[in-house]
Order: sequence, then structure tokens, then C-alpha cells
Amino acid sequence: MRNWRFKEVVVMAALSVVFAVIYLAFFPLGKLLVGLFGPIGYDLIFGIWFIVSIIAAYIIRKPGAAFLSETIAAMVEVLIGNATGPMLIIAGMVQGIGAEAVFAATRWKIYSTWVLVAAGMGSAITSFAYGYVMSGYAVLHPGYVTAMFFTRLISGALIAGLIGKAISDGLAKTGVLSSFALGKELRRKKSA
Amino acid sequence: MFLHQLNPSVKALTIVVTIILLALVFDPITPALLFVWTITLTFIGGQIHWKRYVLYLLPFSILSFGMLWTTLFVGAPSQNLENVIHLFGLSFSYEALLTALALALRVLSVAALSLLFIFTTDMVDFILSLNQQMRLSPKIAYGVLAGFRFLPMMKEEWQLLHAAHRIRGARGNGYNERWKHYKRFAIPLLASAIRKAERTAIAMESKGFTGDRNRTYYRQFNVKKQDGFFFLCMLITFLIACLISNQLGFLKIYPYHF
Repeated sequence: MRNWRFKEVVVMAALSVVFAVIYLAFFPLGKLLVGLFGPIGYDLIFGIWFIVSIIAAYIIRKPGAAFLSETIAAMVEVLIGNATGPMLIIAGMVQGIGAEAVFAATRWKIYSTWVLVAAGMGSAITSFAYGYVMSGYAVLHPGYVTAMFFTRLISGALIAGLIGKAISDGLAKTGVLSSFALGKELRRKKSA
Repeated sequence: MFLHQLNPSVKALTIVVTIILLALVFDPITPALLFVWTITLTFIGGQIHWKRYVLYLLPFSILSFGMLWTTLFVGAPSQNLENVIHLFGLSFSYEALLTALALALRVLSVAALSLLFIFTTDMVDFILSLNQQMRLSPKIAYGVLAGFRFLPMMKEEWQLLHAAHRIRGARGNGYNERWKHYKRFAIPLLASAIRKAERTAIAMESKGFTGDRNRTYYRQFNVKKQDGFFFLCMLITFLIACLISNQLGFLKIYPYHF
């Protein structure tokens, strides 16, 4: 946290707040899908809940961005009054760790499309392990659990990784990120 | 109003510990007992309007029902085929029914515990207490509180964007059009949030906010005896629920086999 500028902290918090609202908006859809298909319903759209990790890390590019943004988003969801309560914060931390681990593996230096996709999948893996214990997937049929896992993995790669990147690039084009790592990179590319 | 006066961090910790313990148990009796106890406690100690409570609990009942039927029909195959139960023209083993009930009741029980926290905690207090009791860095705590203040502004911003688009003749009729509409909204909304955040950060820093841990607090939060009492109270209830379940011959702890 030492080498973070306060500006980056507040911008990360603001991003987390926006996405916390979006996360909440997706809960009813998730619940509907679960009602229809069973637990796998959530996995179809699970990637949306990892997206802020990818966006914050891609924009700010500092150690901890993926983990903290996801944790804050979960905290804000609780603040607004999502009834999952404090456990949601733990779930958010677990998801953040998955993405953070992937960025850590590149020493927080590489932010190519593939790394972002891998980070989305990283969140999918940790969140699935967490869900396996907390929601008791052990009692489900192993084949069904495997299907759930791969659905979530793909969802994490596509929704969090690719859409997250697209949103961040769109934001960079508007120029508001000019003092952040992503904006600076864009400027370098343009002048080159 | 007893629950409102507890330290928010300790309250959150208690709920989290109880939920983790609950996740280790796989029988229907323990979560059912805990569910009843939590609701009783919420209404005695929290002074909550029951209509609002039911409204919040409703989505979880649906989730719980979804859990019930999937576990019944896609559950791991049971080896015990002797105790078969027939219900509504369907048949499944007694064991599968117990597990399905256990999972469904667990969802409800977790929901009740979470609602206890949500309904009795002021969230600004929660963040401040996390800062003071759980050593959350002030940089993050106040950053989040600042970010949280953007929420009402964002609603305004949304209406503004909507008006701006309408005045220029952008319409959102039909599914395809509406989707494009949302896409047009996303980037400007985020961009304005980032601009506001940047300005707020600069304002805070110019007024002397350094994010240093060594600072004074206008609102102090402490851990008192009643917090410890609440923590023990929940743990003991959980143990009693386990004991009753054990007496009735239902208790099942996590690493078990069919």
C-alpha cells in the first residue's frame, strides 16, 4: 500500500462502488437462473462478479489492486444492504486472491489480454474452491460439479477478462485515465 | 435494541465464525434450530419491522428451494437403497432427502444470520470500526467512505445522462436498442465517477489527509463486555443445536461419506 498514491485508492474505491451496484443488479438474474437450472445457474454469469478485479488491476497496475478492489466491492455490496452479509466480504476476498495470484505470477508487470483472461480464470478457480466447501457441492454428482467448474471458468475468462479489458480500454480512450498506468501506456503507444 | 449497540467488527466476526461452523455440519436439525434462534434473537434484540424482514428473506427461500430440488435430483448417487421414500409420485432415498433438507436449511440459516447483521448495523460505523479494531488501513477506510458517497451522485448522473441522450433523440425502445443504450451509458458513467474520485482525493490530501495510522478519531469504537457475551452466546447456541441434533441421531460433521 505504501507506493500507492491516495488518488489511486479513491479511484479504485469509486470503481468498486460502481461495480458493487452492478454486482447487486446481477444477483436477481443469478437467483432466477439458479431457480431454473440449479446451482449451475450462477456459474453461467459468475464472471461478472470478478470484473472489477480485472479493471482495477489493468488500470492501476500495482500490487493489491485486484484483491483490494474486489474486497471493497464486496464491502460496498454489504453497505448497500445485500442480504448475504459479512460472508460476502470473505467471498469477495477469495475471488480477489485468485486474480491477484495471476498478476503476482507476472510480478505485476504484464497486462496483456491473455494475462487478463487468466486472471478472470484465477478468480473462477478460487471462488469455486470456496463455494465447494461453503455451499457443500460435495453432495452433488461429481459430473455436475465438473460441469459447474468449467462453466464458471469460461464465464470468468470471457466476462471478466475480455469484457473487463474492453471497458477499461474504452475508458482510457476518453482521457480520464491520463494520470494512471493504463492511460500513460495508451499515450506512449500513440506517440510512438 | 441490544444488537444495535454491539461493536460492528465483533458482530461481523461472530456471524462469520458461526457461518463457517455451520458449513461443517451436514444435517437438517442443527441449521433448523439455529435458524429459529437467530430469528428470535433478531426480533427481540433488534426491533425490526417484520414486513421488511420477510421481503429480504424471500429471495433466500427461493434459493433454498432451488438447492433442495437440485440436491435431490442431481445429488451424488446413494449406496443405501433400502430406505426409499415416496413423495408426490417421486421416490428418493431417505439419506438424499436428509442432505437436501440440510443444504436448503443451511441457506436459510445463513440468510437469517446475515440479516441479523444487516438490519442492526450502520454501515459507516462498520467501516470506522474495521479501521479501529481490525487494523484496516485509514487510506482504504476513508477511501471507501468517500467512494460510498458517490452512490447517490451516481443516480443523479444516470438521470442526467438519460436526459442528455433523450434531448439528442437517442431512444431505447426494443431489446436491441436498449442494450445499445446501456452500452452508451457505461463509459460516461464510469468516466465521471473516476473524475469525481480524483478530485475528492486531491481535496482530501490538500486538507491534510495522509492516510497515516497515527491519527485521531472523532468517533471512537471500543470492544466491551457485551461484545464478548454475544460471541459466546452464539457459539454456545451452535453447540447446543449440535448436541440436540446428536441426541436425535442426525448429526453429521463435514468429511463424511455416503
